[in-house]
Amino acid sequence: MAEAFFNEVAATIGAEWINRSEETLRRYGENTMPGGDRRPLGVVYPGSTAEVQAIVRAANRHGVALYPVSTGNNIGLGSRSAVHAGQVVLDLGRRMNRILEIDETLAFAVVEPGVSYQAMYDELVRRGDKFMVDVTSGPPQGGMLGNALDKGAGYGPYFDHFGFSCGMEVVLGNGEVLRTGDGALQGSELPNWHVSKYSFGPILDGLFAQSNFGIVTRMGIWLLPRPPAVRSFHFTYPDDDDLAEIVDICRALKLSNFVPTLLRVANDVYLCGSEHPSPDYSPGDRAPISEAGRRALREKDGLGAWTVSGAFYGPSMAALEPQIERVRAAFGKSGKATYIPHEEALGFHALQVAINACSGVPGVGELGLLKWRPGGGNLWFLPGTPMVGSIANECQRISRRIYAEHGMDYMIMNVCSARFARGLHVITFDRENPDENARANACYEALARAYAERGIFVGRAPLDYHALHMGQAMPAFRDSCTAIKAALDPAGVIAPGRYGIG
Amino acid sequence: MQTDFTAAQLRDPAIREAADILGTCVHYGFCTNTCPTYVLSRDENESPRGRIDLIREMLESEAPPKAQTVAHLDSCLSCLSCMTTCAAKVDYAHLIDRARVHVERRHRRPLAERALRALLGFVLPRPRLFQVALALGRLGRPIQGLLPSRLRPVLAMIPERTQGRILAPQVFEAEGERRARVALLAGCAQQVLDGNINTATIRLLTRHGCEVVVAAGAGCCGSLTLHMGREEEAMAAAAANVRSWMRERRGEGLDAVIVNASGCGTTVKDYGHLLARTELAGEAREVAGIARDVTEFIAGIGLRPAAPERPRLRVTYHDACSMQHGQRVTRPPRDLLRAAGFEVVDVPEKHFCCGSAGTYNLLQPATAETLGGRKAGHIDSTAPDVVAAGNIGCLTQLRRYVGAPMAHTVELLDWATGGPLPPALAGVALQSRPAPQPEEAPAAAAAPAPNDDAGFW
Ligand SMILES: Cc1cc2nc3c(=O)[nH]c(=O)nc-3n(C[C@H](O)[C@H](O)[C@H](O)COP(=O)(O)OP(=O)(O)OC[C@H]3O[C@@H](n4cnc5c(N)ncnc54)[C@H](O)[C@@H]3O)c2cc1C
Ligand code: SF4
Ligand code: SF4
Repeated sequence: MAEAFFNEVAATIGAEWINRSEETLRRYGENTMPGGDRRPLGVVYPGSTAEVQAIVRAANRHGVALYPVSTGNNIGLGSRSAVHAGQVVLDLGRRMNRILEIDETLAFAVVEPGVSYQAMYDELVRRGDKFMVDVTSGPPQGGMLGNALDKGAGYGPYFDHFGFSCGMEVVLGNGEVLRTGDGALQGSELPNWHVSKYSFGPILDGLFAQSNFGIVTRMGIWLLPRPPAVRSFHFTYPDDDDLAEIVDICRALKLSNFVPTLLRVANDVYLCGSEHPSPDYSPGDRAPISEAGRRALREKDGLGAWTVSGAFYGPSMAALEPQIERVRAAFGKSGKATYIPHEEALGFHALQVAINACSGVPGVGELGLLKWRPGGGNLWFLPGTPMVGSIANECQRISRRIYAEHGMDYMIMNVCSARFARGLHVITFDRENPDENARANACYEALARAYAERGIFVGRAPLDYHALHMGQAMPAFRDSCTAIKAALDPAGVIAPGRYGIG
Repeated sequence: MQTDFTAAQLRDPAIREAADILGTCVHYGFCTNTCPTYVLSRDENESPRGRIDLIREMLESEAPPKAQTVAHLDSCLSCLSCMTTCAAKVDYAHLIDRARVHVERRHRRPLAERALRALLGFVLPRPRLFQVALALGRLGRPIQGLLPSRLRPVLAMIPERTQGRILAPQVFEAEGERRARVALLAGCAQQVLDGNINTATIRLLTRHGCEVVVAAGAGCCGSLTLHMGREEEAMAAAAANVRSWMRERRGEGLDAVIVNASGCGTTVKDYGHLLARTELAGEAREVAGIARDVTEFIAGIGLRPAAPERPRLRVTYHDACSMQHGQRVTRPPRDLLRAAGFEVVDVPEKHFCCGSAGTYNLLQPATAETLGGRKAGHIDSTAPDVVAAGNIGCLTQLRRYVGAPMAHTVELLDWATGGPLPPALAGVALQSRPAPQPEEAPAAAAAPAPNDDAGFW
């Protein structure tokens, strides 16, 4: 079955684009989650949409499951390992990595799956740095297309990466090619494909985010004209419960869009963790970092229990002075906040990460988070809170308690928009220590249960927990997903099990 | 990563150190996509963590290294791109150096390969010998076909013209009031390939009030041999330099050791490690502590206002790997070139190596050529008037592929502050680019250029 599949693929796209070496299978199976690695059956590198179609058709004929990745840097959420062992990883990024178009009049780019944030940034700089692509603070070698499909987010005005994508080309489970939006019109000259999101008929784009209904081979991405000046501001707060005040202030700043970026509200462990490993932890520890330990961290690194970061865009640094004054007044009211100006923040590693993120500059500065504890375990738990201070604090209490019960260090950044803040919870653990590995898993599951009981769902999840979360959804949602899967991918060849579907 | 060394193996401090480094790799795999050899081949054994695994296996084993392992380690550029990306901060630099020493001691290469390595290891660090060898090499070109195949790429690498100038030990006096006294690492191969780099460096430094010493007894930094696994030779070279510069430091005083080849700079800054287990350990640390890339040093003391009547050229700045990944010096060269009135642009995919990598382009010519061509494509895409870099290796390698003239960063800074036109620009029609807009650039990490009609701010 599998052999026949590989033979057919070799005959169509060339045997050199199939990799089944021992090292490759081992490494593509690796991830950072507690459930262990998952060895694929092979890795295939298609070079075009037509080749993707041929591979999907072969998979249908031979009953083989494919797992598409674009740049494969989904670290903490599955890396490039498939849902189940024995699936064939379709690594699109190796060969399909062209920037197909950059329209400098309408400020959009069209990319293949393998275009990384770094490559897009470099190309935009090369063209005179007139535009910025909204970046994550994660790996620069991750890419816009895969990130948008996983509903990833950044920190500028175009933070909603799926929302600011426009027009896709998709290979469906039956091998057919679908163009979404204005691209659905028959023909080949389609001037509105990547500029109009809402066209005739149902909006099908959403079906391909966090699902397994198709393989996206092309996507439009909107770009923001680069502001001549980006001036950041930062405030530290001394106490955990100050989160409520912060969230209430941020809501006002965002509802009127006075601040164009999102506001990053990170706790001490999150910011210090991107600078250095936990000074308190030694292998096998079953206790979270102590209060005294946290205080020491804050003093050493000059940061607060919470640190807020955001930025203004404008024609010059000086022109932004009035905005800075007003934001200082807003955070200054209660007397609890300490202001860190832009120039000073450039000297703080962790705040530099925030500045880069708000400036559309990819960087590796935050990756150090993963080293907070040794052993390579990393999970992201991604619920959220309405932008109401009291609810944010309630969530904080739930999370703090559960992390502590499992001997994990509460590491979080709340990314605040107008009505909602995503709570980026990081669980960093020693994956090589079976006890700690089991506690990390139990911690994630307890968080998932507790938040569901509070009526809060997650926005994205590590592969290990896709089935768990789908199980938390109402039956009609699950049934709808199953029905769509059956319609678009009747043989179930695309990533069966991803997001708990199929 | 779990390791399995015996207690006896761990008694060797070098193995102990390697074991500790190996223990820190946790296989996130961030590094793979920034590793040039992996991106080219998609072979996991051609990736950092693949190599880390192979090194572990090799060092743990009592048997001689496997030929396959040696091939995967030889193909590593030591560009250290992986170290910039690695979240766990795995000290790959010292690990691969240890592995190369192990290979050198325990593996018997084919005769031709051994001879070539011995030849390079002996000739390159000795400028006068290298000068003779270059002349012989040029003579040998017409009969290339008759030479052993391993030698042919080496001959092909020899530049058409070189302007060698080998400096004797001496002191260059500061212009005006003396602000600092510095030693210049005159280097080895660089002096033969392009003597103007040192001359321009000395002019730039003396013009900025520095007395410059070319110290007696100092020579090759040891980097070329170190990266070939010939640790003893590298240590001997390092020790000679440390002794020589410490003599100066204790004598008339020395504020800095200036290096203008970033490959060498990375090694000198690491002398504390290289000589850690010798009686020179303390002094080596001291020397390492005052070692500076020339741009780092000039940025520290402040560039003198530029001479005004020069065309405003677009300089595409190429970050040598040793500069960006080894020493993490990325801002000073750009800041200085901007301050000197040039338009400075970056190279797309700048984290990638150009394929020079010490003796890499001589020993691994095929990969080096692919990388050289790829880098040149990116450089050419920026339409430069001139390309600047801070490492002779990159300059020599890229001159073979890049259309635009290439100069060392100090040559441009020297010119901009009153020195002569860099030889690479002689006879080139130079047109001025438009002046920057008066608005200040945003102080983001990478200062972007002001935009024009793209958006309204
Ligand atoms: C320190 C740190 C910080 C981070 N910060 C952020 C952040 O700020 N924002 C954020 O969003 N993430 C963040 N991440 C998470 C993650 O690393 C990034 O989201 C990353 O960009 C995702 O990987 P990728 O872009 O390579 O996508 P991929 O791994 O290529 O894709 C993600 C998933 O989407 C699916 N997929 C990919 N391509 C296709 C396709 N063509 N067709 C169908 N399905 C496809 C696959 O299931 C794949 O696993 C962070 C991670 C770390 C470790
Ligand atoms: S070297 Fe660093 S980034 Fe690469 S696999 Fe090891 S820990 Fe990960
Ligand atoms: S040093 Fe360069 S070539 Fe070697 S493993 Fe690291 S990134 Fe790859």
